Amino acid sequence: MGPDGPVVNAYIGVSLARFAALTDDGQEPPPPILIHALIDTGASCSCIEPSILEALHLTPIGQVPTYTPSTGSLPHPCDQYDISLFIPGATAATTPFQRPNLLVIAANKDSLHPQGIQGLIGRDVLEHCLLQYNGATGSFTLAY
Amino acid sequence: MALEEELATYHAKLPALTADEGKFVLIHGDEVAGVFTSSEDAIKIGYEKFKLEPFLVKQIRAVERAQFITRFVEPRLVP
Repeated sequence: MGPDGPVVNAYIGVSLARFAALTDDGQEPPPPILIHALIDTGASCSCIEPSILEALHLTPIGQVPTYTPSTGSLPHPCDQYDISLFIPGATAATTPFQRPNLLVIAANKDSLHPQGIQGLIGRDVLEHCLLQYNGATGSFTLAY
Repeated sequence: MALEEELATYHAKLPALTADEGKFVLIHGDEVAGVFTSSEDAIKIGYEKFKLEPFLVKQIRAVERAQFITRFVEPRLVP
């Protein structure tokens, strides 16, 4: 585990459902984008930097009120997008983790990138996994 | 604002939708196109029915449940 904590490489792409719609429309779906994402048990939902969502030509599919330290005591409405999430296994022989149709929210521009990450893997994803954080050895395990 | 019409439809129809509290509603314009047990199903049917046109998928909550992020991020809303 590096100094930024439990960070994984993850591929963000259009959702499987959108992939099919684009293909049916004769359009070529954009390729998935590799990001560094922090595993964050303090996030109730996963969150992606907007530049990634824009590169995938996504438009909002929902809206949800969201509290963060920047919003104070009132929640702010936040757009939701449908994506696919692919986390490669630790080795080539390990099964990757996949969520083909996942709703995520967008963080405002420049709020995640300075932190060295482009996304947060929140509890909406972790509810499908076993996360073990071993601070003593400086390692973590994400099992699924 | 994105999905303005769909969000207005959601709020207008919410009293009738609360019988399906916790499920996910699919809305296109002023049409409620279905209620589903998972967001994945609603997204899938949304693209099948409406292709690449905008549609809304929203969890039905009489009292809306907020998301919480303890890290510093600014929520984003398309103007």
